[in-house]
Amino acid sequence: MKRVIQFHKAFVPAALVSVALIVFGLAGLVTKGFNLGVDFQAGVNQYVQLAYPVADISYTGKGTPVLSISESAVMVVFSGADVVAHTATWDLKTVGTIVDLAAQMTTEGIDMKIRDGAGLPATLLVPTYQGNYTLGPQPVLVYRAAKGASEVFGSIEQVRKAVETVGSVSVQNVGAADSMQYMIRVRDDGKDSLFSAKIPGLVKQALEGAFGADKVITMRTDYVGAQFSKSLASSSWKLTLFTVLAILAYATIRFKFQYGLGAVLAILHDALIMIGFIVWTRMEFNTTSIAAILTILGYSINDTIVIFDRIREDRRLDPSALLLMVIDKSITETLGRTFITTLTTMLAVLALFLFTSGSIKDFALALLVGMISGTYSTVYIASGFVQLWENVKSSAKPRAVVSRIAPKEGR
Amino acid sequence: MNKTKRFLIVLIVLAVAFAFLAPSIRWYYLTPKEDQALALGSREQIRDYAWRVARSDMADLEKLATANDESPLPARFDPMVKRARKIYKDLGLKTPQAWSAKAYLAAFDNRADALADLEDYYRTHVLSLKSLHGSAVQLGLDLSGGMSVIIRADLAALEAKTGRTLSPAERNDAVVRAVEVLNNRIDKFGLTEPVIRRQGDDRIYVEIPGAADPERINGIIMGRGKLAFHIVDEEATSKLTTYLEANPLAIDDKLNLTDPSLIPAGTVVRKFYTKDAYGLDEWTGRYMVINAEPGLDGNHIESATVSSDPITGQPEVVFNLDKEGGDIFFKLTSANVDKTMAVVLDDRVRTGARISGPIQANVKITGFAADEANNLALILRSAALPVELIVESQQAIGASLGADAINQGKNAVIIGLLAVFAFMLIYYKGAGVNAAIAQVLNLYLMFSILSAFNLTLTLPSIAGFVLTIGMAVDANVIIFERIKEELREGKGRKASIQAGFAKAFWAVMDSNITTILAALFLAQLGTGAIQGFAVSLAIGNMSSLFTALFVSRLIFDFNTDVFKRQTLSISWRVK
Repeated sequence: MKRVIQFHKAFVPAALVSVALIVFGLAGLVTKGFNLGVDFQAGVNQYVQLAYPVADISYTGKGTPVLSISESAVMVVFSGADVVAHTATWDLKTVGTIVDLAAQMTTEGIDMKIRDGAGLPATLLVPTYQGNYTLGPQPVLVYRAAKGASEVFGSIEQVRKAVETVGSVSVQNVGAADSMQYMIRVRDDGKDSLFSAKIPGLVKQALEGAFGADKVITMRTDYVGAQFSKSLASSSWKLTLFTVLAILAYATIRFKFQYGLGAVLAILHDALIMIGFIVWTRMEFNTTSIAAILTILGYSINDTIVIFDRIREDRRLDPSALLLMVIDKSITETLGRTFITTLTTMLAVLALFLFTSGSIKDFALALLVGMISGTYSTVYIASGFVQLWENVKSSAKPRAVVSRIAPKEGR
Repeated sequence: MNKTKRFLIVLIVLAVAFAFLAPSIRWYYLTPKEDQALALGSREQIRDYAWRVARSDMADLEKLATANDESPLPARFDPMVKRARKIYKDLGLKTPQAWSAKAYLAAFDNRADALADLEDYYRTHVLSLKSLHGSAVQLGLDLSGGMSVIIRADLAALEAKTGRTLSPAERNDAVVRAVEVLNNRIDKFGLTEPVIRRQGDDRIYVEIPGAADPERINGIIMGRGKLAFHIVDEEATSKLTTYLEANPLAIDDKLNLTDPSLIPAGTVVRKFYTKDAYGLDEWTGRYMVINAEPGLDGNHIESATVSSDPITGQPEVVFNLDKEGGDIFFKLTSANVDKTMAVVLDDRVRTGARISGPIQANVKITGFAADEANNLALILRSAALPVELIVESQQAIGASLGADAINQGKNAVIIGLLAVFAFMLIYYKGAGVNAAIAQVLNLYLMFSILSAFNLTLTLPSIAGFVLTIGMAVDANVIIFERIKEELREGKGRKASIQAGFAKAFWAVMDSNITTILAALFLAQLGTGAIQGFAVSLAIGNMSSLFTALFVSRLIFDFNTDVFKRQTLSISWRVK
C-alpha cells in the first residue's frame, strides 16, 4: 500500500495563499481594469503590414482569372465560360527570383511589370490579403517584405505617431518587430454612425501619408459596434453564471450539496486566478478569454469529480474512518491520474501555444495557467471545503462523522 | 455482449463516420481549384456559366457537323456523349461506332433540345459540386478568409421618419425589405455565394467567404437599393437575343458586349430576373435592352400594395406616386403607349409591364401570380421607405491569413497528438498503444461528426480539438490507473481489466458530463468562433467516451482472448 500523503495539513495555508492571490488579482482588476479586446469595447481593430510594392500584375486575355499568393505559392485560378478551366501554380521556394516568376507568368498570358527587387527571391512576396485580386487590364499591385533588417522602414513609434490624428488609437506589434506588422485599434465613441466605414480608410491614408503611397497593406479589419459589445458582455456574465449553477446542480445530484459547493468554489477560484493573470499580464480580454475561463471551469470540475468519486467510494469501504483520513487517502490514490491528465492536456495545449499566434496563443497561455490552478484547487480547495463543512457540522452535532452512513448512490 | 458483436459495432461506427467524412475529403482534396471556384459562385453565376458554355459548345459541334467531320469528339465531350448514348438506347436505336458531332446531334429532336441538354449537363455538374461543398465541413472565415458583417436595420430612424410607431408587421416588413435589397446588391459583386441571414428581430448577418474587400463590400451594403422604371427597346431586345443564341460569348459577365454597335446608342443590356422556389433571385435566361436613362426614379413612389382585381380576382400591384412623379409618369406613359416598361432594381430587371395608356399617380400592374405580386410590391416599397442600415460588427480577413491559420491549426493538432502519444507510450508501455488508437479514432470521429452536422470549422474549434486530445486521454488514464491498482492487488490480466473498467466507469462518466455541460453553455455565447470551440469540445468529449469505454475495452479483450495474453503491459513497476 502506498503511503498516504497528509494533504489536509496544507488546507489552511493553501487557502490563505489562494485568497492572497485572488485579492492581488482583484486589486489589479480594480486599479488597472481589463485590457478589453474589440469584442467588448466598441471600435475597429485593423491589422496592417508595411511593405515594398514590387510589381503590377495585369491580364488582357479572356475570362477573369483570380490571383492568390500564400506563404508558399502563387496561384492563378482560371474558371468560367470563356477560358479553359485550370489552375496555374508556382511554388515560391522553387520558382527562383521575382523576375523568374514574372517570366513564368507570361506563359499564362499574365503580365507582371516589376517595379523593384527583380533579383530578390520570390519567397519575399507578401501574401494577398484584403482587396480584389481578379486579374484584368487594370493592374493589381503585389508587395514584398523587407529583405533584411536594413530595409525595415517602419517602427511602432512611427506608426503610432502617424495614426494619432485618427482618433483614440492604440498600436501593437503583431509578430516579430521587423515583420512590420501592426495592429491598430481605434475606439468608437458611438457618435459617428459611419465610423466603421470611414476609419479603416483613414488609418490607411494616415499610414500612407507617413510611409508613402503603395506601402501599406491591410491584412484584416474587425469592427464591433457599441450595442453589440454591450450585449456580448452581458451574455458572457450570464453564461458563466449558468454554467456554474448547472455544475452545482449536477454535482449536488450525483454527490451531496457540500460536494457541489466545494466543486463550485474550486472552479470559481480558478476563474478568479485566471482573471488575475489576464489583468496583470495585460493580455487582451475578449470572447476567447471567456472561452478559456469556461473551458477551465469544465476542466477543473472534471478533476474534482474524479477525486469526489473516490472519496465517496472510500467512505463506503470504511464508513467509520475519519473524513480527514478518507480525503487524504483518496487524493493520494488519484494523484497519479491527476498529474498524468494534467500533463497530457498541458502537452496538447503547449502545442497550441507554440504553433498558433494571436488570440489563440493567448488562449493557450491562459489555459495553461488555469490548468495549474485547476489541479491545485481540486486537491486543496474543493476537498478542503468539504472537510471544513463536515467539521463545522460535526462540531455542532458531535459523533456525526463517525456514525454517518455512506451517501446513497443515484445509479 | 460478445467480442464479435462489439467489433461489428465499432466497424459500423467507423463506416458511418467515413460516409460522413467522404464529402469533405472529396471537396477539399479531390476537387480542383477551378471547379471549386465555379461551384462557389452564386446560382445565378452557375446558370450564366452553363448558358454560355452550352452555347459555345453548340457552336463548336455545329461547325464540326457542317464540315462533315467524322472523327470522334474530343474527350471533354465524354460526359455529354454518355447522356446522348442513353437517349439512343431509350429510343431503341443502334449506338454509332464513332461519336462524331453529327452522331451526337442526331440524338436530339432539334437544336433547342441539344442545347438544353448541354446546358443541363453543365448546370447539374456544377450544382452537384456545390451540394458536395454543402455537405462537406465548412471552413469559418478565419480559415477561409472573407468578410462577415452584422447589420442592424435602424427601425427607430424609420419610425422617426414616418412619425408613428410601426406595427410588428411593419417592422418585419422593413427588415425583410432590407434583406431583399442586400440580396440583390451583394450577389452580383461577390466571387462566392454570400450568406445573408436574418438574426433575431432587426439584425441581418452577411457572410462573404473568400472575398475580403471591405471598401467595395461596404459600398455595396451601405448603398441603398436603386429602383427605377425604364422603357424597354423591344426591337433591339429580340435582335440581341437572336444574336446571342448564335454567339453566346459576345457578352461578358459584366454585361458588356464585345461589339457595342449591336444595340442602339443610349440603351444598355440588363438581365431579367425572377424568384426561384426558395425566394432567391434567379436569372430567367433572358436579356433585355432598356433605355439607359430611367423614365422615372423610384424615389417618387409613396406606397405600394397588393390587392386583387374585383372582377377577375387576379392579384395586382398598386402603387402611388407623389405629385412630381405623377407628372413625369404621365408624360412617360403618354409617349410610350403599348411599349414595355421595366421595373429595374440595382440593374436587375424585376418585371416588365405593358403600358396600356397614359397613367397619372395611381399605377396598377397586373398579370402575375400572387407570390410575384408580393415580391414586386416589396421591391417598390423598399424605394418608398428605405431602411437605414447600421453596421454592428464587421470582420474582414485576408484569404492568405486563413491559409496561415489552417497551417497553424494542422501543426498544433499533429504535434499535440504526437506529444500525447509519446507520453502515453512511455508511461503506459503496451497500454499506451491502446490509448493512442483510441485518440486517433477520437479525432477521426470528431471530424466526421463535424461533417455530419455541417458544422463550421474555425481556428478556435481546432483549438477545441487539440484540447480535447489532451483531455480525452483522461478517460484512458483513469481506467489505466484503476487497472494498475487491481494488478497491484494481485489480480490477473482479465480480472484487472474487468474491475478497472467497472470501477472507473462512473468517474469517467461524471467528469465528462460536467465538461460537456460547460461546453454546451459555452456554445450559447454570441460569436461563432466561441461556438465552434465549444461544439468541438462537446463533440470530442462525447466521442472520447465511446473510444475510451468501448473501443479501448474491446482492444484489451481482444488481446486477452484472441492472442491469449496473460500479462498486461501497462506500467514499468507493476507487472
